[in-house]
Amino acid sequence: MKPADRLVVWCRRLTVMTRKELVQLLRDIPLMAFLIYSFTLSVYVTGNGIQTQLRNAGLLVYDADRSLSSRELVSRFHLPYFRFDGELIHADEGFRRLDRGRSMMVLDIPARFHEALVSGEPTAVQLLVDTTNAPQGLSAAGYAARIVGQFGQESILARNGLTASSSAPVPMIVSDHRVWFNQDQNETWFESISHLLRMITIFAVLLPAAALVREKERGTVEQLLVSPLTPVQIMLPKVVAMTLMILGATAVALFGVMQPIFGVPIRGSLALLFSLTALFIVATAGIGVFASTVTKNQAQVGMMTLLVVAPILLLSGIFTPMETMPAWVQYLMALSPLRYFIEIATGILLKGVGFDMLWSQALAMGVVGASLFGFGLWRFRRQFQ
Amino acid sequence: MDQPEILTPPPAQVVRVRGFVKQYKQHIAVSGVDLEIHKGEIYGLIGPDGAGKSSLMKAIAGVLTYEGGTVEVFETMIDTERSAERVKQRLGFLPQGLGLNLYPDLSVDENIDFFARLRLVPERELAERKARLLAMTRLDKFRARAMKNLSGGMKQKLGLICTLIHEPELAILDEPTTGVDPVSRRDFWAILAELLQERGMTVLVSTAYMDEAERFHRLSFLSSGKVLASGTPEEVHALVPGSMVTFEATPQLEAISRLKTGCTQVEALGPVLRVFTDDTNPVSAAQAITSYLGDIEPRQLHVDKLDLEDVFVALLLRETDQPPPSPELPTASVSSANHSLAIEAKELIRDFGTFRAVDRVSFQVKPGEIFGLLGANGAGKTTVIKMLNGILPPTGGEGWVAGEDMKTAGGAIKERIGYMSQAFSLYLDLTVEENIRLFAGIYGLDRRATNERFAWIVSMAGLQGYESSLTVRLPMGVRQRLALGCALVHQPRVLFLDEPTSGVDPIGRRHFWDILSRLAREEGVAILITTHYMSEAEHGDHLALMYAGRIVAEGSPAAMKAQVEREAGQLLEIVTDQPGLALRQLERAGFAGIALFGAKLHLLSRDPAHDEVRIRESLASDGLRVLGAAIRPLSLEDVFVHRVMALERRDRETTKGAAA
Repeated sequence: MKPADRLVVWCRRLTVMTRKELVQLLRDIPLMAFLIYSFTLSVYVTGNGIQTQLRNAGLLVYDADRSLSSRELVSRFHLPYFRFDGELIHADEGFRRLDRGRSMMVLDIPARFHEALVSGEPTAVQLLVDTTNAPQGLSAAGYAARIVGQFGQESILARNGLTASSSAPVPMIVSDHRVWFNQDQNETWFESISHLLRMITIFAVLLPAAALVREKERGTVEQLLVSPLTPVQIMLPKVVAMTLMILGATAVALFGVMQPIFGVPIRGSLALLFSLTALFIVATAGIGVFASTVTKNQAQVGMMTLLVVAPILLLSGIFTPMETMPAWVQYLMALSPLRYFIEIATGILLKGVGFDMLWSQALAMGVVGASLFGFGLWRFRRQFQ
Repeated sequence: MDQPEILTPPPAQVVRVRGFVKQYKQHIAVSGVDLEIHKGEIYGLIGPDGAGKSSLMKAIAGVLTYEGGTVEVFETMIDTERSAERVKQRLGFLPQGLGLNLYPDLSVDENIDFFARLRLVPERELAERKARLLAMTRLDKFRARAMKNLSGGMKQKLGLICTLIHEPELAILDEPTTGVDPVSRRDFWAILAELLQERGMTVLVSTAYMDEAERFHRLSFLSSGKVLASGTPEEVHALVPGSMVTFEATPQLEAISRLKTGCTQVEALGPVLRVFTDDTNPVSAAQAITSYLGDIEPRQLHVDKLDLEDVFVALLLRETDQPPPSPELPTASVSSANHSLAIEAKELIRDFGTFRAVDRVSFQVKPGEIFGLLGANGAGKTTVIKMLNGILPPTGGEGWVAGEDMKTAGGAIKERIGYMSQAFSLYLDLTVEENIRLFAGIYGLDRRATNERFAWIVSMAGLQGYESSLTVRLPMGVRQRLALGCALVHQPRVLFLDEPTSGVDPIGRRHFWDILSRLAREEGVAILITTHYMSEAEHGDHLALMYAGRIVAEGSPAAMKAQVEREAGQLLEIVTDQPGLALRQLERAGFAGIALFGAKLHLLSRDPAHDEVRIRESLASDGLRVLGAAIRPLSLEDVFVHRVMALERRDRETTKGAAA
């Protein structure tokens, strides 16, 4: 055969096998339902539902003073951050209510609070905070401290005959910050983007792994092995088909949910976004190919995916910033394509940066992906010998 | 008229089924089946996959609800879960599938103990029964072995022990012999016969293989959810009067086409033709055939009684009222066939660690030849095929396939061979057309060639009207022909078939074999087929029997039979009124290797006339009557069992000798 003919046959094989994978996937109703749900409804729910900022923290008040000042202080704990859960008659009831877990904090205002403020004596309020959920608890405490501090400052100024607006003669540093890229500090944007990335990661591992193991399970791989297909020709069409499928789903999530409903901006180049997403999917698919070589059936593949994907999702910097992790985790996560893709995706979508800023991330992702893919392919070849 | 047998009470009924209907959503699996099983008999349900056997058996076992009719077991109506619970202690149920009811990680011992304790068998009885059943099944040496490491036949024997450990009065066995080699199958039937005899057990058993029908006392033949025939094998025989004429004729294809003008069943078994005629008189039957043949002279013409399989095929044809599908093999542009060997294996060896799976195997297959590779599970057949297909490199030896050296030209070989496996390896979620076009693309066919081959396959396999159906919805016979079509899409010169006919109905199977012999005869395709169903092996031109990785016997089916007849004698069939007792009496009298077929005993005898007299005397001394004795032609299954048993005996003696 001439080399040109050989290339024609090679492409023909790739085409028919890829088409076969797409047809099979489209006819797999449960898997398709899962895919559609994950890229539409689930993106919507997560974007709306997950809030890391303080919202609706239940506040109980034990007010032993019942004065103008105490009521003024309590009124400053308001929605959307704090929810007033009522007043306590006895101080020790606060512990019971915190134990029950309905409310998050108890503000204890001592008797003679107002008197002390007016006469210029030092006084204190007690705040009990349930920090079972540490981030929420800590930020509630922080907010509360700021509110109380502000109130204290204002009462001092008031005692000296000044108001907050006419504070000019008093020397103080004003901290003024400006928010970039997400001026409204709209959490929905980042949450929906990071959820989309999570879904892409899960399916990039799961779909090729499931497709490969299904051939094993049903015995059709035997037929492929006696045909003139090489292991690469068996594996590659699955990766290609699944990549196309996931890119399609990503477009649905982006243009069907995130942009119209959440108003997520697409500031950078779409072509760049989709080509780097394709690179990310192929890079991650290597893990799926590996998973298929150590499992025997679909159920095992499902569990294996969970096992492999969970640490990638948790540690690649979606939930918490990379910088806060121990050094060894940071080194390990250098192997995760997702670590680079987060910066690429948020960079293109929110910051609108181009390839000139992202090339190093893309290169790193490409290198890691090539090694993962090579490893998966090596395992895949080996299992048939 | 007087009824002389008025004194015998009517047989006690263990199962009574009336008008049974089972539906799966829209699909009616069983419609209006009646069934009565008497105490102490082996009742057979015969029929292809999807005939409704399993549904019926599960309903009788009380594990499946049904839509219509009544099912009574031990005179208890099985209509609610509670009533089913009442009889379950008296039942044993072996579901379909090799060892599916067993726990793979538990040992033989632990599996049996588990099932016994589930059934609250007292420990002392358990020990005694376990020892007896393990000895009977020759599994006693493997007590500590994990179930997953047993061979297929051993798994099925263990499954049987676990089903019978609580000594049920009724055992329900769903396709217990599917996928089991002939020797293990014979063991299996012997165990059942003995338990039947000793414990008065009743057995309901199903099978997809017609040649097992002779083993049943009574049977029902199911097809598409209906009973086509039922009764004793003799009664079923009587439904279709006729005879089977076998002969050799050349040119075979011309002979077949002449015969098909007047005969409904014409089958080619290697060089031999089998033709059904509804004439029971041997002389006029032979004359009728000769007149169809015209100037073609039949050689070695015999007129035989019909097999039960022939009867079933005749019944099926009568039922469907269709002419048998005659495959049109459309002419395809055949590449110039070179006349060198299609397959040549020379001293092939394959080791897995220290285990030698294939040991110096040599054989040759010529173009246009059907070559059968026989052997039990684990004999090494599949390993040989894998090496020849280029999936598995050999440890030693060499081989050529389609003119290419398998060591250096694996890729070229793969382009020139077709392969079809037991599982049919089709994509069930693709349509017929999508499957064919997929494989055409894999073999690199361009659009024009693909269209041409697509048309050829559809007409060859009789797939007209199925083109856009999903493969999963096809009947097994059609699926099998589609798999064959996909294996032939690139016009290979060599075709490998690995156990290709499981679960296909008899008409479908005959259609399949029709296509294969035409491929071999007309297009000169060399076909290598493995099977452990010996009725199928009769189709081969040349057979090789493998045992423990080696070829131990070789030749045409007729030659292999003749050789065994020379070595061990002819097959003597004894019909008696109490076969179980007779079997034991004869074994005590020193006859070895007797197999029980329903009411008949089979044994090999070098001097049938003399042995018949001895048997009659021996049985008469015990008060047993011999109702008939005859010399029957050997089947390939007899050949297989004889050979393998002899080898196993020799192996046991050498290991004993080594131990001593």
